[in-house]
Order: sequence, then C-alpha cells, then structure tokens
Amino acid sequence: MDGRLRALAIRSLFLFLLSLVLVAGFWYHREFYQIGFTNLLIIGGFVTFLVIWAARLAMTGELPRGRPSGELAFTLDEGDRLLKRVARSVVRPSEDLTAPSVGHVVRAKYETGTEFARLLIEDARRTFLSDLTDDDARQAGFRSAADLREAGTSRWSWRPADIVTILRVRALGGSR
Amino acid sequence: MNLSSVIVLLGVAADGWLLAFLAIRGRRPWLQSTFAACALSFLVVGAWSAARNEGVLPAVREDLVLGLMLLTHALTAILVLGLIHGEALPRRRAMTFLLLVPVPLLAYLAPIEGWTVATAYEGTVLGGFLVLCLGIALGETIFARHASPMFATHAFWLSVGVIALIVAGPIYTYELEFLGRSPLAGANLAAPLALACFARVALQTDPFPIAPRRPKGRTTTGGIRGADAIVFDERRPKYALRTAEEEAGSDRPTLIVARDPPKVTTSGVASASFAPNRHAALRTVTTVSEFLASAPGGFVVLEDLADLSVLSGWRAAGEVAVRLRHVARDSGSTVILCPSRLTESERKTLQGLDLPWWPMADAATEIVAILAQSFGTGAGRLFDSFCRGHGIRREDVTTDHVQALQDFLSRALTELSGVVGGPAAHGLQVQFEAASSVLRSFAAQGAVEIARGKWPSRRSSETDVELVVTAADYWKGKEMEELFAAADAVSEREPLFEKARLVFVEQLGDAGEGVLRTQLAKIGKKPEEIDKTDLVRIADRATVDLGSLADVVDVPQEKKRIQQQIESIRQKLELIAEGQE
Repeated sequence: MDGRLRALAIRSLFLFLLSLVLVAGFWYHREFYQIGFTNLLIIGGFVTFLVIWAARLAMTGELPRGRPSGELAFTLDEGDRLLKRVARSVVRPSEDLTAPSVGHVVRAKYETGTEFARLLIEDARRTFLSDLTDDDARQAGFRSAADLREAGTSRWSWRPADIVTILRVRALGGSR
Repeated sequence: MNLSSVIVLLGVAADGWLLAFLAIRGRRPWLQSTFAACALSFLVVGAWSAARNEGVLPAVREDLVLGLMLLTHALTAILVLGLIHGEALPRRRAMTFLLLVPVPLLAYLAPIEGWTVATAYEGTVLGGFLVLCLGIALGETIFARHASPMFATHAFWLSVGVIALIVAGPIYTYELEFLGRSPLAGANLAAPLALACFARVALQTDPFPIAPRRPKGRTTTGGIRGADAIVFDERRPKYALRTAEEEAGSDRPTLIVARDPPKVTTSGVASASFAPNRHAALRTVTTVSEFLASAPGGFVVLEDLADLSVLSGWRAAGEVAVRLRHVARDSGSTVILCPSRLTESERKTLQGLDLPWWPMADAATEIVAILAQSFGTGAGRLFDSFCRGHGIRREDVTTDHVQALQDFLSRALTELSGVVGGPAAHGLQVQFEAASSVLRSFAAQGAVEIARGKWPSRRSSETDVELVVTAADYWKGKEMEELFAAADAVSEREPLFEKARLVFVEQLGDAGEGVLRTQLAKIGKKPEEIDKTDLVRIADRATVDLGSLADVVDVPQEKKRIQQQIESIRQKLELIAEGQE
C-alpha cells in the first residue's frame, strides 16, 4: 500500500476510535447530562472541541510528532537521493542551522522554495569537517568524504576546521 | 460482579504489571521504590474497594483504608516531585517525604472526626489534604512545563496522569454523589492511566547505563577540588579526559558521559554513553546526579555537550549545564563541561551562565611553540615529520605524545651525528635538551596549571617581541636544514612495528601491543622484519579477528565501539603503509 494511503488509513482509524470513546462517554454519563442543558453544553462542548482539535492534528499529519519546525534546503540531486532513499543523512554547517532536535519533523524544500517532503530527524551529531568519514559520506549519498567535502566547499566555502551537523532523516511521505 | 468492580480489578492488575515493569526496567532505586509504594497503595485500595463492593472480604477497619487512601495521594505528589526533580540528591528527596507526616495523624483523627472513605473529598481537613497533594503534583507539572525546556514533554504526560487522577477521584466522586450513587470507596479508576504516564516518564528519563560500577561512598579528593561545574575551553576535549584519568588515579569516583563509548577503557574511570534520542539531555542530568548521589565528591566529565544540543535542542542542553552546576554544588563534586563543537551563539549563551571558564592550551600548538624556541621557524616542519611518521593527525596530538616526540628528535640527532660535527652538533644537542626539558615540564602540567594561561606559545611570542635575534634564529642555518632532512628520514625509517604498536595501543590500550604481537606471530614475522605489505596484512587480519569479537558482543553500544576501533586501526595502518610508498 502506498505510504500516504497507509498513513491516511491509520489516522482515520485513530479518529474513528476517538469518536467511539466520545460517544461511549456521553452514553455512560447520560444521567449526569440529563441534569441540565448547561452541563451538557459546557462539558460536552469542551470534549467535542478537544476531539475536533485532535482530528485536525491527526488529519494534517501533525500527530503524534507535532508540526514541522524549521526547514532544510536541498539541491535537486540531494532531494532525489533522499526521496529514493539512496541517502539517509544530511550534512550541513552547524552555524545558523535551523533544524529542530531529534524526533521532530522538518520541512524539506528545493532551493527554489518548493516543499517536496517532510523529514523526521532520527539522529543527529556534530563533528569537525576533518573528522567526516567515508561512511558518513556514503550515508549522505556521496562516494567518499573527499567528495562530500568538495561539494560542501563549493556550496558553503567549508574549511577543514569547520563544524558540521550530520542529521539522519527519514522522509515521511509526499509533499502536503 | 458489577461493572465498576470489574473495571477496578482490571485496574489493579494493570497497577501490578506496571509496578513489576518499572521494578525490572528502572535504574533509579529511590524512584523505583517511590513508584512501587505508590502503585502498591493504589493496588491495595482498589482491591479492597472491589472486595467490599462484592462482599468478598470481611469488614476492614475504615481508618486503615482511609490511611491507605491518604497514602496514595501523598505518594502521588512525592512521585511527581521525584520525577520532576530527578537530579535531587538524598537531602532534597527527604524533604519531599515530609508530605507523609500528616498521613498517620489524619488517619488517627478519622474515627474521632467521623471522616469516612466515602466522604473523603468533602470540605474537611482530610479532603483539603487530599486535594492539596493532587494540587502540588499538578502545580509542579504545570510549572515544569513552562519553566523547563528539557522537561516540557515529560511534564505534559505527568499532567495527563495527575488530571486523570483528579477527574476520576474528587470530580467523579462528586458526580456519583450528585446522582445519588455510592462512591467507589477509595478506588481511583484512573490509577492505571496515571501510573502508566508516570512509568513512561520514569523510563524516558532513566539514567544511561554506567560501566564499570564502583563501590558507593565518598573517597579522596583529587587535584581539582572546586564543587562546581567548570567549562574546559578546548577545541577537542583532551585535558578534560586526561584530568578524568588523573582524578580516577587518585581514587576519586570519576565518570565520563559522552556520545560514544570510550575508545580505551581506563582503569577506574566509569563511562556512560548517550542514546541518540531527544531525551538525551534529561537522561544525562539523571545519570550524573545518580552517580554523584552514590559517590559524593566525585568527578564528572560531560564530553559532548554539542551532541546534546543537536539531540535535545540547545535550550535543553543549556539547562543541563545549569542543573549540573546545582548537582555539583549540592554534592561537593566537580563537573567538567566541554564546549567543543558548539556554535558561536551557543558558546556565548554558555558564557552568559557565569560558569568558571578555564581556557585550555592546544597541545599541538604548544609543542610547535616549544620546538620553535629551539629550532626556529622550521619547528612546524619537524612536528609534521613526527606526525607523518606516527600516522597521527596534528589535531589528535596530546601531551601523551611528548615522550614519543622526544624519542623521534633524539633519533633525528643520532642520524645527524655522522654529518654534522663539532660545535654545530654540540649546539643542536644543547637545543634538543632545552626543548626536551620544556616539553617535559609542559607535559607534566595539569589542567589547573594550564588554566593559568602561561602557555609556551604566549611566552614565545612575548620573547620574540623583546629580542631582536633569538637563539633559535642564530641556529637557523645549514645545520637546521640538515636536522629537518634527518627528521624526514627518521619519519620514513621509523620502525614500522613501533608505528603499528602506537596505533594498536591508542585504540585498545595496553592490550593493543599484545594483539599486534599475536598478529605478527600469525604471519610468522618478527617486529624488526615487517614491511608495508605486512602492515596491510595485519590490518586485514586484525579487522577479521576483532570483527568476530564484535559479533559475539550483545551490547549494541559496545559492538559499535569495537567496530569503530577496528575501522580506526585499519585506516591508520593503511595510512602508514601508504606513507611508506
């Protein structure tokens, strides 16, 4: 099944279960709510508000991880490598990096500004550029550390003493 | 059996399961004990309530059950406080247990005042205490959610648990009374949900495993006695790790908390490594506080503050520094923070915390400065020859390499003895001895002396300003060029066995030499016979042998550490072999 359809099915199921709980709650407390319109309006209204709120989050994919925060810009090649799962990590200069912490979702955009995916950050670490290994480079979709450094040098004017952040990411589906 | 009794009994079973689960999985005895007491009190009250509803048990004294109900509320507040202030040391823990003091008093007064389980939440002193306990728990969680970036997520789950207890406790009792039904007699239907939330937080903030464990108790103080969090400002945490070894050597409880397991397990130094998740910052705090609670006056190095920043966010990492400072002061311990790989803005924020800030010298820079005092501007060339000869990068050089450097220079001078004679040779020898003396005294300096800032690089720059011609400049002539050429030759002819030995010892500790000799024996060579092709063979064989060792290790972190060591050994041996071509 397509990833997006599966996510939609899971979210819908969650929403349905929530609705069942809501109805069961009203039924269980039916005598309590009979005592007056005001009680029903306040308590029932509040619970319904929470359900609608949760539903909104669920349907926009913001549950259980919250809204995406921050964004990462990719070249067309880099973006494709991530979407095709050839690359699993992203290497960026640490200074001025706006990515959130591990477990959060970040928007992935092409340099033109188009969002192409949302990425879950699974792991992150900082290292000196000179300490990057070939394995780090391969995870980022490059053949060797030298290739990665060369690409970074032309894009960000990297120097060996610079500090970079390696983010291990997972694409959460298509653009929204 | 009516529905409410079934639900209560299911809750009792869930309480028991959670109790056992946390008892098995947790690493904090104090917190586990509090959780166990809290879960047990909910469990007993629930079982009693169901049994009374079903008429299974004979009548139990009302004040005893009321006492248990009081206990559930007081222990809930204590548990929540313990979870939020997890780093609190025994002295502070004891303060939270003051909440238990009114429990026997109120239980004693219950029959006199006519308080019953069914009317517990009414507007009496008893009801006030019960609500106060839940109020303290809720208030602390709300405060923690807003005040602590590190604890915000956990505070949410704690508040879910406490609100569930409030809804299923006082509010539900009020509803049942309103409808004219009999209350559940002490049982709280939300107890399993609340305990599940508390258990979740307890496990997510559990300390990292520490190995090896040392016996509890205060021991001797080391060279750094300040009870504070100190920042060792160095590009790579070299002095921090060296100081940890020195402190452990003086029998002080020492812990290194880092992203990766240590390459070499130094005797006496305990270590804990981060799990790569967003709770790393809080778990680091609980790890350090639990360690220092069991070993007051200890010494802790937090090696990878920068990694905490990317795992949990900088606000959480900054809070770690603040909390660790409190822990260090409360326990009379020293915590070293390493700002290596922090961004400029993060460093500024850390400096804004007013922690003691100790600038540390870079070993490579200082060694070059010392060599420059004797050998002039060619010192860098000499040093590079040494690094090339030993297959180490300039930035990886530490004061531990000073002895090897002296041996290297000595060999270079020996090489020269046949070429340079007379006063020139004597002059070089004098310069070598002067450099060796300064190198030795520099290497002998600990972090405290280095932090005073009297570094060779600073002294030499001052000297250069004062003197127009230095001794080093005087000798910067033909003999120097010959010395550099000799050093290059030495680096080429340095026994390969010695280079390989350094690589193995660097990665595997003293056992590394034994591993290398075993590999040599397997390929049937003596140390003086090995050539570059042997190095490649040794690299391949060591990869296979140590790889099979890694395969049988079940602990993922240890397995990863061994694999990193193998990879590092292979790369460095190949580097040395390439350098021979």
